[in-house]
Amino acid sequence: MVYDKVNKPIRRIDGYEKVTGKAKFAADLFFPNLLYGKVLRSKYPHAQIIKINLDKALAYPGVKAIITAKDIPNNKIGVIIQDQQVLAQDEVFFIGDGIAVVAANTLETASKAINLIEVEYKELPGIFDPEEAARKDSFLIHSDRQNNQVIHHRLRKGDTEKGFQDAEIILEREYSTPFVEHAYLEPEVVVAVPYEQNSLVTIYGSIQNPFACRNAVASALKVSLNKVRVIQNHLGGSFGGKDEVISSMSVRAAVLALKTGQPVKLINNREESILESYKRHPYKMKYKIGATREGKLVAMEIKCLADSGAYACQTPFVTWRSVVQATGPYELPHVKTDTYGYFTNNIYTGAMRGYGSPQIIFANESLMDELAQELKMNPLELRLKNIYHNNSITASGQKLDNHTVSLEEVINRAIKESDYINKYQEYNKIQSGDKKKGIGMAISFRGCSLGAEATDAAGAIVAVQRDGSVLISTGLAENGMGLKTVFSQIVAEELGIELNRINYMEVDTSVSPESGSTVASRSTILGGNAVKLAAQQVKDKILAMIAAKYNLRKENLYLKNEGIYEKFNPQKIISYEEMIEVANKEGIFLSAYGWYKAPDIFWDEEAGQGNPYFTYVYGCQVAEVEVDTATGQIEILKITAAHEVGKSINPACLKGQIYGGVIMGLGYGIMEEVETYQGYIRNTNFDEYLIPTIKDKPDLVAIIVENPDPYGPYGAKSIGEPSLELTAAAIANAVAQATGKRIRNLPLNLERVLLGHALSREVNHDV
Amino acid sequence: MKKIKINLTINGKKITLKVNPQERLIDTLRDRLKLTGTKEGCSIGECGACTVILNGKAVASCLVFTAQIDGSKILTVEGLEVGGKLDPLQQAFLDHHAVQCGFCTPGMLMSAKALLLKNPHPTREEIKTALEGNLCRCTGYEQIIEAIESVTKD
Amino acid sequence: MYNYDFLTALKIEDALYYLDRLEKVKILAGGTDLIVNIHKKSSRLPHFDYLLDISNIEELKFIALKKQFLEIGSLITHTQLIEDTLIAKYFPILKFAAQTIGSPQIRNRGTIGGNIVNASPAADLLPPLIALKARVELVSPGGKRELTLTEFLSGPYQTKLQENELLTTIKIPLLNEGYLANFQKIGRRKSLAIARLSLALVTRIDSENIFQDSRIVPGSATPYPQSFPVTEGAVNGKRTTDLNLEEIGEIIAKEMISITGKRWSTPYKSKALSALVIRALKEFISKAGTK
Repeated sequence: MVYDKVNKPIRRIDGYEKVTGKAKFAADLFFPNLLYGKVLRSKYPHAQIIKINLDKALAYPGVKAIITAKDIPNNKIGVIIQDQQVLAQDEVFFIGDGIAVVAANTLETASKAINLIEVEYKELPGIFDPEEAARKDSFLIHSDRQNNQVIHHRLRKGDTEKGFQDAEIILEREYSTPFVEHAYLEPEVVVAVPYEQNSLVTIYGSIQNPFACRNAVASALKVSLNKVRVIQNHLGGSFGGKDEVISSMSVRAAVLALKTGQPVKLINNREESILESYKRHPYKMKYKIGATREGKLVAMEIKCLADSGAYACQTPFVTWRSVVQATGPYELPHVKTDTYGYFTNNIYTGAMRGYGSPQIIFANESLMDELAQELKMNPLELRLKNIYHNNSITASGQKLDNHTVSLEEVINRAIKESDYINKYQEYNKIQSGDKKKGIGMAISFRGCSLGAEATDAAGAIVAVQRDGSVLISTGLAENGMGLKTVFSQIVAEELGIELNRINYMEVDTSVSPESGSTVASRSTILGGNAVKLAAQQVKDKILAMIAAKYNLRKENLYLKNEGIYEKFNPQKIISYEEMIEVANKEGIFLSAYGWYKAPDIFWDEEAGQGNPYFTYVYGCQVAEVEVDTATGQIEILKITAAHEVGKSINPACLKGQIYGGVIMGLGYGIMEEVETYQGYIRNTNFDEYLIPTIKDKPDLVAIIVENPDPYGPYGAKSIGEPSLELTAAAIANAVAQATGKRIRNLPLNLERVLLGHALSREVNHDV
Repeated sequence: MKKIKINLTINGKKITLKVNPQERLIDTLRDRLKLTGTKEGCSIGECGACTVILNGKAVASCLVFTAQIDGSKILTVEGLEVGGKLDPLQQAFLDHHAVQCGFCTPGMLMSAKALLLKNPHPTREEIKTALEGNLCRCTGYEQIIEAIESVTKD
Repeated sequence: MYNYDFLTALKIEDALYYLDRLEKVKILAGGTDLIVNIHKKSSRLPHFDYLLDISNIEELKFIALKKQFLEIGSLITHTQLIEDTLIAKYFPILKFAAQTIGSPQIRNRGTIGGNIVNASPAADLLPPLIALKARVELVSPGGKRELTLTEFLSGPYQTKLQENELLTTIKIPLLNEGYLANFQKIGRRKSLAIARLSLALVTRIDSENIFQDSRIVPGSATPYPQSFPVTEGAVNGKRTTDLNLEEIGEIIAKEMISITGKRWSTPYKSKALSALVIRALKEFISKAGTK
């Protein structure tokens, strides 16, 4: 199928504003009588609050209001479990917990005033290790729960005991990954405006999920959803990060705005952002694998412990994706996987690009290379003996029979492009000098969209205006990835019009259809379907109108090149603009609401089996590295990333997702770690929390593999997270080949590469 | 705390201001002049989002006190488009998909512009050096480099 | 909150005037550290009543070749060090070190004088400047004095700069024929990296292929950069063909530990420092061999 507008590298429709500095991000908004908020945060990772004295701060000139927990009608928020304090009530559970928020005429004044608030604490011992949290004799972090376990997911297939008896080789290995910061370049900002145009409060901000934010604000204020309006601004990156933390900030700003009757702007600086915002979960993972001498996998037993930090946040769902995908894309008769989340007094953890997959892929793909080494087999060969194909049965018992299982194809493309086979042989030879090269691969399968974790549906409005221009509105939010452009291309394709007729509106919860969250790499596949359905309804109305007017058969009509045509007749029947005039005259309503609900899936939590996702994407990345074995420095030379995406709606945006994901994955592999000690966070700005710079970027090759999916719009599936999840594992395998030493803990920093273990000012956390 | 009288030429316009001793150039641009295209990402000179061109050189506007730069010429992202015509770099960023969330984009453009003012035909390595102080979390830098190269190669 | 007055000096004499008459004056040059500390209200910053901006003193922006020295004005930026032809000709090691600093934005503002006076353990210019036996000229209303950098630095973030003194000039003695210099830096990433460890090594290999006058100065290895006399002694007098590189590697690690004691970072730094010194010496030996 050849398309006019989709499958083309169309320029971003939000690009002009962004290259001219005209794009308004939340920090760029100013309102009359605007007040500035500043949060007083905890001094300790765990403490009882004995007393808060606001007197001096309230008396400070310029201070308009101060709120604490008792000013918030319902102080507990949370998408899955409502346990997150908007402001600490009697106890602080982690170092980023807020205690009070000041609103003042200037940020300067608000900053001074928080220093005048007197808080009397009783410092309490804390738990900072999920293994300690799991012990029966540990104290309860949340006293209303029976233990410190947030969640336990299981997956069971066959009989692993029997499987390991049949195995000719068994390996047991432990891996770990650290806390990781999203490091979006724009720190969090919200502005709450009271009593604006019939809403009780309007929230503008750097909001990843406007509907989740609205739910939180309405529930905290104890008002109905239609009283709260949330409008997303241009968002300076999110990657899963601007969700619960933004909800919490929005509630604080809303309460202050209502208390003062003035707009309140709440800005995090970078230090506050890193202290307060949730992180990617650290995992401790125990893997046991059994195989035959020929390299056929027979059994796997996996146990993963996730540190949830102070609140549940997204832990129940993050660990669920892990339990589904923990084996990697390998056929196995016997699997037993358990994933757990535990509360600690660390910074809380939530959604971050990958969502429970980068951790387990680092483990299972490292393990495959370790097994290959034991079997004296090429890692590629071992993988090819065991990977999923069409009709394979996954660990959860799902038969992969409704889409093309493209694993072998992505592997072959990546292997060929990277010259893996020759380089692997070459680098296995003894290398002279300190600098050693290595090449490593990693592969994955990934369930698209939310899966069985939640209801999965999205809506869109396509509204043709009287002049033929089109407005699109969906509840999914542009996070920077190009969603507006992709959705506009779909409408242009369906209506046969040029992109410049289309305008895409920011999410406004009072107008846009609630569509679930912009997460789980689901925008194109879910939102794209909704947009397509809406556009098709508009198309249908147009064709019906023209068929009636010219007495033609509707099924022979089609829209293309700004006009309406009949099959087998090259003559245009009527132009798009003439058609609009007809519709205006005849009073035809050329707007429609599209609603797409994902195909049915199911999960049996007890049995640990099910069809968790309705379709999957497949990826393979190959990393080539040079390791300075005398200093521990790693130079990443090249990364080849082959991803099957169903169909690419915009190949240039798609490549941008691959490049960006790979570089974020590179950071995860070799440099990124939020250093915590006893609940305190050490690196709170970009001088110490390091993300890759342009000089750290290796040669990148993005390979797009297309096997259209029956469920995706034009066959399109996902790319946002798959691009990130493989890179660290591929690098770890390349480094292991180069050095002959396996590092099982991320990141592969200078110390681990040179010494084999990390160094820390206090203790060695490596498993 | 006495205010300091400062003359500046910003995007070709002359202005006179009285500034506080702690007022950074980024504060002057964003808060006082509402030139909000310049972004604040870290406030310690490590992210590059606040990059502007000061007397021909790329600087982090969070690392300059306005009181220090009396008589200076400043170019910000708002000054790149002239008479409704985009700077070739801006057009290249659009054409090559060098923009995702757009928060780092103004700083990237200003660092690239400063490079081209001095060196219209840089090598790939020189482009990377010019942009090494500008962090981007979305693009993986690849398409940004492609965009700049498209302007610098004849 | 800091409550201070902002003073601008356009000439050295203006700066000295203020320094002479006022107390609690903080000098502002490139500002790449100080402005952050003021903005963040850093506790490391001592109280001051006046901020004296010297960044526009043109007299302090020069690089001049004198008979025995190359003289560098204290306000020369890192970018100017990189672009200057005299630096490239006489002390390319300084150019290499300056190139590893931060980013263009930082290099365009940060100055050589600021890097010295700030006296950070990780200051990138200090190891090569110490290895080059650089001297600093300090001017006060009462006159001027000259100290070697080794004399000038007195501790981490501490120098012997008096309250009424201004660092005006860095004087680097010109090297005779036969000198070699090397600078290496290890960071956790390739740009915007604070030195995890660095090493400046300057030495002369004489006509007999014997090491003479070696100056070995690691950065980020000791509380503040200083030369390593024991290691230097172990290298000096050795013929290039006789030098036991592994042994030198062990000596430098031991010398570091003798200064710092065993720290949490010692296992990494001692190994890596050995590697850096071996690498520098190997390069010198191969250069000497090809002559």
